Amino acid sequence: MASHKFDVAIVGTGPGGYVAAIRCAQLGLTVGVVEDDRPGGVCLNWGCIPTKALLRNAEVVSLLGRAAEFGIRLSGFEVNYAEAVQRSRRVADRMAKGVEFLFRKNKITLFPGRGTLKSKNVVEVKGTSGVETLEARAVILATGSEPKSLPGVAIDEKTVISSTGAVRNERAPKSLAIIGAGAVGVEFADVYAAYGVQVTLLEALPRIVPLEDEEVAKELTRTFTRRGITVKTGVKVASAKPGGPGLVVETDDGKLEVEQVLMAVGRAAKVTGLGLEAVGVQLERGFVKVSPLMETSVKGLYAIGDMAGAPLLAHKAMAEGVVAAESIAGRAPRPLDYGNIPSCTYCRPQIASIGSSEARAREQGRDVTVGKFPFTASGKAVALGETEGFIKVVADKATGELLGVHIVGPEATEIIHEFAVGRTLEATLEEIIHTIHAHPTLSEAALEATLAALGQAIHI
Amino acid sequence: MAVTKVVMPKLSEAMESGKIIKWLKKEGDRIQGGDILAEVETDKADVEMEAFGGGVLRKILAPAGETVPVGVLIGVIAEPGDDVAALIASAPAPAPARAGAPALAVAAPSTPAPTPTASPRPPAVAPVPMRPSPVTSAPAAAVAAQPSGGRVKASPLAKKIAAQTGVDLRLLQGSGPGGRIVRRDVETAGAAPAAMRAVPDAEFEDRPLSQMRAAIARQMPLSKAPVPHFYVTNEVAMDRAWELREELNALEGQPKISLNDLVIRACALALLQHPGVNASFRGDAIRVFHRAHIGIAVALEEGLITPVLRDCHAKSLAQIAVESRDLAERARVRKLRAQELSGATFSISNLGMFDVAEFSAIINPPEGAILAVGSVRRVPVVDEAGLGVGRRMALTISCDHRVMDGAMGARFLQDVKRLLEEPLRLLV
Repeated sequence: MASHKFDVAIVGTGPGGYVAAIRCAQLGLTVGVVEDDRPGGVCLNWGCIPTKALLRNAEVVSLLGRAAEFGIRLSGFEVNYAEAVQRSRRVADRMAKGVEFLFRKNKITLFPGRGTLKSKNVVEVKGTSGVETLEARAVILATGSEPKSLPGVAIDEKTVISSTGAVRNERAPKSLAIIGAGAVGVEFADVYAAYGVQVTLLEALPRIVPLEDEEVAKELTRTFTRRGITVKTGVKVASAKPGGPGLVVETDDGKLEVEQVLMAVGRAAKVTGLGLEAVGVQLERGFVKVSPLMETSVKGLYAIGDMAGAPLLAHKAMAEGVVAAESIAGRAPRPLDYGNIPSCTYCRPQIASIGSSEARAREQGRDVTVGKFPFTASGKAVALGETEGFIKVVADKATGELLGVHIVGPEATEIIHEFAVGRTLEATLEEIIHTIHAHPTLSEAALEATLAALGQAIHI
Repeated sequence: MAVTKVVMPKLSEAMESGKIIKWLKKEGDRIQGGDILAEVETDKADVEMEAFGGGVLRKILAPAGETVPVGVLIGVIAEPGDDVAALIASAPAPAPARAGAPALAVAAPSTPAPTPTASPRPPAVAPVPMRPSPVTSAPAAAVAAQPSGGRVKASPLAKKIAAQTGVDLRLLQGSGPGGRIVRRDVETAGAAPAAMRAVPDAEFEDRPLSQMRAAIARQMPLSKAPVPHFYVTNEVAMDRAWELREELNALEGQPKISLNDLVIRACALALLQHPGVNASFRGDAIRVFHRAHIGIAVALEEGLITPVLRDCHAKSLAQIAVESRDLAERARVRKLRAQELSGATFSISNLGMFDVAEFSAIINPPEGAILAVGSVRRVPVVDEAGLGVGRRMALTISCDHRVMDGAMGARFLQDVKRLLEEPLRLLV
């Protein structure tokens, strides 16, 4: 059994693990990483990246459908979902190769196989070519998460699929029920609907995208419904059993016959089979309990990303990877500000938000002022032909503190960062309005929404 | 780094020249801002002269023993690579100062020397906080938020909250990157007791003289020149203050509190309530100070010196105890720094240790008032229970009648009395 010594061993090479590995290497530490899939993790191989490729396809398809609006006459066109999936695989493959290249560049040793903790500083890797051990001064766990299901609905990746199955599936069903209308649910609803699938979106909570501001959810419901997606909220799913065209979904609101069901009710941390119990790592509500510097209850053992708690976002994992790496290297990293992580959903119209929703801010007893600006009043949005949605700024009335920003509309996921930077620097409404925004841009709507919060919007 | 001119500091209002007793650094020594460069003899005291900038002491222009007018260049601090030849050449040939040597002889000092009312240090040569150059992902350690020039590094939100809640940003340590003051720093300070709060940005404000005040100001000096004094005396029941002090001093790990510390704290709090007493006559205006810099008279064998405990209004009793003891001890060994000798807005003279029933003190111009503190004496007192024994202390305030009237002084004294008689107020 081969044994290797490193400064740092990292289990999992998703966005948390690979970023931590590179940052460790930059800081002069030797790093061994363990991965039982391709480098890049779910994000790069089965999540964020391939779905963004599929969503781009959906966007192109819908634009082609709107060609006449732009004065382009098409004598019909054909779409092929299998080719869309193949394209997304090529995109994921290219990005995974990119991570492999970064490992080589930073002299990070990759151990393919499944890693388990033998002690707090020894990781055993079971690979295709046998068992190896990595002994390290510090270990970072970054095993991520996996799709959850509901009782009564078992994921078989054939008729009941998860997001992982959905990105592999080259055949689009005729009809699909998506259970759970969070980011994953609404993104797949968008993709499948663009390819002509009859989509029913089922959400147990009173509205879709329940973590977002209420007005944002309302706007998305409106555009989804207009595009032919059936949106059912406040609906609890009891079971999904074989029958009809594939499955019969029983809900407290009646039965639904569909070819496939996509489970999108959330993800659970991958914390089993890692040897956590043996070394005494404490868990908290199914996640590994960590300090602000990402150390677990066991000294020298770190956990980052999805397994270390909400929000389950790749960019949060990356930021935690940097904190863990710098902490191990003896730097004094600044812990993450968990209240200032942007949340992005890439359906059309896109959704992006940061900070508190209006309702949440009011619940917290803040005296708020709200500014809203619709993209219909933005010259750039009209020129693009993308006028759905708005930007909503929630601020403290007395100080102008940016409590939250909620965007639904074109390129929302790009526009949000001006507010992220603003909040990091503790800018107030005034600093945003004193920042000249170029014309014509979608970001002007950010300026206008901010002005609106002060009752000074120009273009509305 | 900038070239720092070392000039003869103005160490007191009346000082025109100073004699260099000795240089504690020699040419070629590396200097950090705040290092003691030399000892200077003034009309009042031997004081230590601080460096206001860092670098190498390149040149000493006035040797020990020489008397030099205020403001004249006596040394140059610069980095080894900086060209200081022109600056040195521009200095006047060393010559003993004549009495009242005009400030024109000054080799263009870039800034005026400190005066009691200006900021204690000249801005252009303000000490540059020594700290390592910032690294990426700098640690969150608190760093002084005030770089040179007095600009406060604070986030826009922190500034707004501070303005709305009356927190003085200059008194805060920033916890943000590079010592930037962020919201939580201000909120923490805002939640804290009065210590960090309270005063406007400006050091003082000039209030126009009312007709009556102008008339009083014209008339009073004629009756008693140069400062028309009046005196108000009150007696304070010190029983509870005495007990409190004994309790405090029984606590382990706490600095020992003197009775005078209680009086200083009481005066500081009362001065904030009675800005008219914390004031100075300026000829055509009354200058009302927003900070309580209290001079504490310290008896020396050869006389008296009044070192200044700055920002007493923002200091806890423990801070006052530690700092006043330090000032008094250094006053006795004549190791006070220049800025500790000027800028008082009010003074306290305590002769309690000499078993004095009461006395009145002479105002230390340009201050507007001084409090004379007698001994705490056990005396027979009559209360509802009949005849008993109590501890009593006499306070006499001497006031400048050009600045205030008897009632103002009396009300101030009443508040001081109340604070001392309900001494828990001194702890909050």
